[in-house]
Amino acid sequence: MNDQVTISPTTLSLHLTINGRDHALEIEPRVTLLDALRDRLHLTGTKKGCDQGQCGACTVHVDGERVLACLTLAAQVEGRTITTIEGLADEGGTLNAVQAAFLEQDAFQCGYCTPGQIMSAVACIREGHAGSDEEIREYMAGNLCRCGAYPNIVAAVRQAAQELRS
Amino acid sequence: MTVHDMKHAASDSARLEAVGGRLSRVDGPAKITGAAHYAVEQQLEGLTHAVLVGATIAAGKVSGIDTRAAETAPGVLAVLTPDTIMPLNGASDWFGNPSPQPTFLPLVREVTFSGQHVAAVVAETFEQAVAAAALVKVWYDEMPAIVDLSDGKAGDGIPIDAMTKEWGDAQAAFAAAPVRICAAYNTPREFQAAMEPHGLIARWEGDELTVWEPSQWLDGMARTYAEWFSVPFENVRLVSPYIGGGFGSKALALAHSAVAAAAARMLGRPVKLVLNRPQNFTSYGGRAATRQTVAIGADRDGKIQSIVHRGVNETAVDGMWVEPLGSVTSIMYATPNFSSKQNVVRVNTVVPGAKRAPGENPSAFGIECAIDELAHELGIDPLEMRLINYAEQDPHAKKAWSTRQLREAFAAGAEAFGWAKRSPQPRAMRDGHQLIGWGVAAGTYPVRRAHGEAVVRIMADGSVVVESSSIDMGQGTYTILAQTAAETLGVPVERVSVKLGDSHFARAGVTGGSRLAGVMTGAVYKAAGQALDELIGLALSDTRSPFQKLQANTLQVRDGRIASPRGEGPEITIAELMSAVGRDHIEAKGDTLPASTTPEERYKNYTTIAMSIPHTEGEYSRHSWCAHFVEVRVDEDFGTVRVSRVVSALDSGRLYNPKLAESQWKGGIIMGIGQALLEEGVVDRRHGRIVNGNFADYMLPTNADIPDIQTISVGIPDPHSSALGGKGVGELAIVGIAPAIANAVFHATGKRVRDLPITLEKLI
Repeated sequence: MNDQVTISPTTLSLHLTINGRDHALEIEPRVTLLDALRDRLHLTGTKKGCDQGQCGACTVHVDGERVLACLTLAAQVEGRTITTIEGLADEGGTLNAVQAAFLEQDAFQCGYCTPGQIMSAVACIREGHAGSDEEIREYMAGNLCRCGAYPNIVAAVRQAAQELRS
Repeated sequence: MTVHDMKHAASDSARLEAVGGRLSRVDGPAKITGAAHYAVEQQLEGLTHAVLVGATIAAGKVSGIDTRAAETAPGVLAVLTPDTIMPLNGASDWFGNPSPQPTFLPLVREVTFSGQHVAAVVAETFEQAVAAAALVKVWYDEMPAIVDLSDGKAGDGIPIDAMTKEWGDAQAAFAAAPVRICAAYNTPREFQAAMEPHGLIARWEGDELTVWEPSQWLDGMARTYAEWFSVPFENVRLVSPYIGGGFGSKALALAHSAVAAAAARMLGRPVKLVLNRPQNFTSYGGRAATRQTVAIGADRDGKIQSIVHRGVNETAVDGMWVEPLGSVTSIMYATPNFSSKQNVVRVNTVVPGAKRAPGENPSAFGIECAIDELAHELGIDPLEMRLINYAEQDPHAKKAWSTRQLREAFAAGAEAFGWAKRSPQPRAMRDGHQLIGWGVAAGTYPVRRAHGEAVVRIMADGSVVVESSSIDMGQGTYTILAQTAAETLGVPVERVSVKLGDSHFARAGVTGGSRLAGVMTGAVYKAAGQALDELIGLALSDTRSPFQKLQANTLQVRDGRIASPRGEGPEITIAELMSAVGRDHIEAKGDTLPASTTPEERYKNYTTIAMSIPHTEGEYSRHSWCAHFVEVRVDEDFGTVRVSRVVSALDSGRLYNPKLAESQWKGGIIMGIGQALLEEGVVDRRHGRIVNGNFADYMLPTNADIPDIQTISVGIPDPHSSALGGKGVGELAIVGIAPAIANAVFHATGKRVRDLPITLEKLI
């Protein structure tokens, strides 16, 4: 509540590379990657749970690492490689091993935290943090699930990690 | 004429797609690829964005609002205040009782809780609306607030006579009992905290309103919108294809819903309004804080002679919520004397609401801790104590249980957990610096029954469409209705598509109280049976049908192929028959209401909860049951509690899909672990604000907090509870978890914590 706040109508021209495709955007500098994905590019698979970096529902990959899209400005990720849940299956539609394991292990109920869980799980395995159930629980602890799918998420990550190793 | 006898189904459950099969979620592929579009993710032409401004006081008056800076901010289309928002009509409550107030202003001048909506900004973009909302200046005349139950101004509250349950002479029997325990048990304000925030998109086209909003009750919410805006019920369409968790919170159209719909009407453009996370802690009610005292008098052999129970829950200054605290107390154990009474106390909060197992959850915390205290007092094993006082019939309704596999649950859970190896004395089990405790508690939830309606359509290509305005918020409705239709019709499950979450589909009542699966499998079973009757009737009698000359009495459909049960004559696909008889579809609408139901009663049935069927109707008392066995490890120096093992044996009757039911049970157990150890809405004593209204400070269980959980189904089909034999699943498993953990903590430490959550400072 500050009278001195001025709101700049300035917009930026951005090019984002998302799931292997280029997207041109005219947006204000304050637009987060999350809102750019959901409201501008209609890539709504990435979810907004808290908008405060507390729940992990908006987890995407930037240059292969897991990042919270709600705490990332769209302008920060120009020129970098962004992957969202929509880009995880291959072009023929074959599911990523983590996606398939989530379905088989019933690692979700309402599905709202699921894209973030899956993006985290893919990175968790890639980081080498899926060696034991204990380790999976710890490295997946940044993604909240209120339906309580945690034991099944652990089972899915364990299964996918084993498949990807073999 | 037809062969869709469900009696064979239980033995057929090895088949994935049959009812009872472990089919993976049919909506799963959409949810794991990001293709599932939740309500507020609809992309609409001309969409605008609204952001709310909440009161920063808990009681008082808005004395002034300065909107000038916000109005001139870039992109702003409107700044709404109590003076400028259109007044709405007061809508009836969920029982259908008319509003006491003729008009309803969703933005308020009189503030009764912190965070109450006082203004709203609508702008072209979300960022513009957020920025402009910060420019709205509000002045208040603040009054002293009653911040919570422990506030000196709160008083004893209002007696709720309807909650009184009494038989025998409980006070005298308690006074005369040789062994007596009496203690107070408290639960704090808790929140549903679904991962998907509340919100909506509202669009008017003339006098027709479409609302995309996560909803546990499309028809009930459509009624509220229709009444607010004085338009016919049919003019309102609620769309809610997927719901990102509800847990009781998403059954009603709320003040923020009204703001968005009013703004859309005023602006003539669609409006999207999503509550930010802190607003999700103040814009609708979580579980009310509760206080209970439980006094039990018993013989020296452990037989209960009397239970005296008193309860209090908080409610709002301007709204009523009763959390029925005697619901489990009055039925779990046999006692010749019983008394339960309850008050509600008004405090400055948003009206509390339903959170997973409202009533049963805190009720079980009281009685299931108290019985453990009695067992310790008498030196009787707490599991044995529960069997000594096993209720062979409903002690309150004095009726036979429809089914009660609780004894079986205790046996199966104890066996799997290894309960027999428990050392009876507290502090007797340890692993290094960790004290180990084992606790047990029981849980129950009534079988709430209602009526539903479904359309089943057999298409020309042999595929099947099922439509209902019921919803799937993760319980698995899409999947079990596909299984029900596939089995009833004899078609492969992948040929069935289930469409839910649109109020223009066949009607359904509220999704709450664990009633939907039982209601809707019954409705789909009936509608599919009617469609199958028509299909077979056509096959037998239509002159163009290849079966017409067969002179058979009936035909059977299996894997989408129609043939005589004796194997004579042709075998053709449904598509071939439809083509032969020249039909492009066969449609049947089935409902579970009596044929004599009037249109007014139907409307009331689907848009209110006034026609729910009591669980003690007729000869039986119907409930789900469970027994939880929990191991905790408590750090002796720091008092930190970790749940290291859970084994739960549960009786939900017949399971329509065990894979999905087990997931719901585990979810309930995990929410119960959060309740026991982590979750508490903390209220600031100066301004009555929830100070931890976000996911960092209101602590939900994370993956790292949750051990392996074993669930065991001990249910048997219960024909008195639902058409296909199931009882409630979703709410059952949270009931009894918190007391099982509290009992385990006592066993580990010798310290009895009766005040949730059990945090370290209460143990050191």
